Amino acid sequence: MQPIPDRNFDALVKPTKLHRSLYTDPDIFDLEMSRIWGEAWIYIGHESQVPNSGDYFTTHINHNIPVVMIRDKDATVHVLHNRCGHKGAKVVDKQSGNVRGALRCAYHGWSYRFDGSLLKIPNEQGYEDTGFDASDPCYSMQPLAQVASYRGFVFATLSNTITDLVSWMGGAIACFDNLCDRAPEGEVEVAGGVLRYEHDCNWKFILENLNDTMHPMVVHESLVKAAEAYIATLPPEAAEQRREAEIIPPFGASYENFEDSGITGFDYGHHYDGGKTSIHANYTVDPDYHSAMVAAYGEARSREIYAFNTHNVLYYPSLTIKCAVQNIRVIRPISVDRFVVESWSFRLKGAPDSMLQRTLLYSRLINSAMGMVGPDDLEVYRRAQQGLQCPTSEWVEFHRQYGKDRTLTDRVEGGGTSDLDMRTQYRAWKAYMEQTPHRGTNND
Amino acid sequence: MTDLAAVEALLYQEASFLDRPDLDRWIALYTEDAYYWIPATEDQVDPINHVSHIYDDRVMMEIRRRNFVHPRAASKDSLTRCSHLIGNITLKEQRADGVLLIESTQHVVVWYRDEQRLYAFNALHELKPTGSSFQIKSKRVNLINPEAPQRSLVIYL
Repeated sequence: MQPIPDRNFDALVKPTKLHRSLYTDPDIFDLEMSRIWGEAWIYIGHESQVPNSGDYFTTHINHNIPVVMIRDKDATVHVLHNRCGHKGAKVVDKQSGNVRGALRCAYHGWSYRFDGSLLKIPNEQGYEDTGFDASDPCYSMQPLAQVASYRGFVFATLSNTITDLVSWMGGAIACFDNLCDRAPEGEVEVAGGVLRYEHDCNWKFILENLNDTMHPMVVHESLVKAAEAYIATLPPEAAEQRREAEIIPPFGASYENFEDSGITGFDYGHHYDGGKTSIHANYTVDPDYHSAMVAAYGEARSREIYAFNTHNVLYYPSLTIKCAVQNIRVIRPISVDRFVVESWSFRLKGAPDSMLQRTLLYSRLINSAMGMVGPDDLEVYRRAQQGLQCPTSEWVEFHRQYGKDRTLTDRVEGGGTSDLDMRTQYRAWKAYMEQTPHRGTNND
Repeated sequence: MTDLAAVEALLYQEASFLDRPDLDRWIALYTEDAYYWIPATEDQVDPINHVSHIYDDRVMMEIRRRNFVHPRAASKDSLTRCSHLIGNITLKEQRADGVLLIESTQHVVVWYRDEQRLYAFNALHELKPTGSSFQIKSKRVNLINPEAPQRSLVIYL
């Protein structure tokens, strides 16, 4: 492969095709980690994961920088670099838990307040008259450059210059509103645990697949056929009681159905498919849930909330959410050909337990590494990762419905089977890589 | 004291069907109201209000069994072969209706997609007596690493 000179991203991203090195070149991966993952707002976690003072949750903000989300005594949620100000040891090692009093490094016992400021150094007199300045932030656990939360969803960024979270989300923010509005109390909380799924391929494949509506009827045909064939043998009343019978068959929906769902793209690479309809649109509305919704919002507003029905929403590059199913997937790259996906589920506050139970059923059927949808998706990503080693063509194409995207004030709309999502993502990818993320707009 | 020989014979029989794998004969070992469960956390008590890696009742087992051998399931194009090693078989409980709760330790080597992997777990079987043998009412697979990122698994353990 020819070496790609830095900054010549015009040579890698064309209007209808991408250079294969985007998926295979470790140098490009390293640049992505600093210029995309080091610049964009990255999803860290939900405030409900740290309900009480001293509760914490740890993760990475990119492939290797450890961070800790922690609730302070005044209820503020901080996101700190998980690094001791002394020798650099990671301070909090467990995935989640609670600390009393102060964060304490396991190496020399330096301790920190929940906002990351240095509290105490053991045997401190050794620092007297050495020029050491305990108030210098470099000796604290430093907060991320910017931290912000929207309806309980906490994001952070390593960038001082990226625009604020709400502006960055743009019109895609409506999907967070829809997810939370689906709760009679207008709030959601993490519930029912997490599934972690290791993928042996480039991280961008899963993002490209979210609104790729040309694959489900091919990749998931076996599951749909197996489910339909067996469900047909059940007595009708038994079949009607199976919630799987609502979840699985839409994966085999026709090209026409997916075309009707449409795709909408936004600045900074965000997009969703659906809106008026999606593969989640025909789920039964639990009568107890509907009663709770009507009591909270009234009949008309409740119907309006259900009617905004998206399939997958991407907040590029780290988070994808399903408003109608109430689960989210969090992406974390590891290397050029490895990443991990975390699936988290949410309880709609004020809704009956049956709603969370459907969310969890969906997760284990569809998102589990031992599920019946995820492994077929990963299989095709992995084949792409291998096939792209072939030197016969340098390019991956995305021409579908090129030239037919409709540009509106803050968004671009197009057909549900178009490659509008690819164009949206890679416009942002190129802008981030050229270190001009504000140019990753649809009007560019 | 219940004779564990018949219990051992059943667990070995199940393992041999899964090793090949022969899911048609495997599923016949299970009762109509059976379930198969791989929890996502240690000591998970609830399969409905907490997510699991797998929680299948007989209907979902029937669907999965058909999906595993479907010619259009790309993730199943690769051969899957397993080797179960079972030990520490213990009778934990004998209930009034005759159902036995059996605990065992299982190490399963799985060959899938050019790679050999090891799963280790504590298995809990509920066995319903049927004359000279048993039927499986439930199987719970307590992986030693249920919280870890998992790789694709397209076979029952």
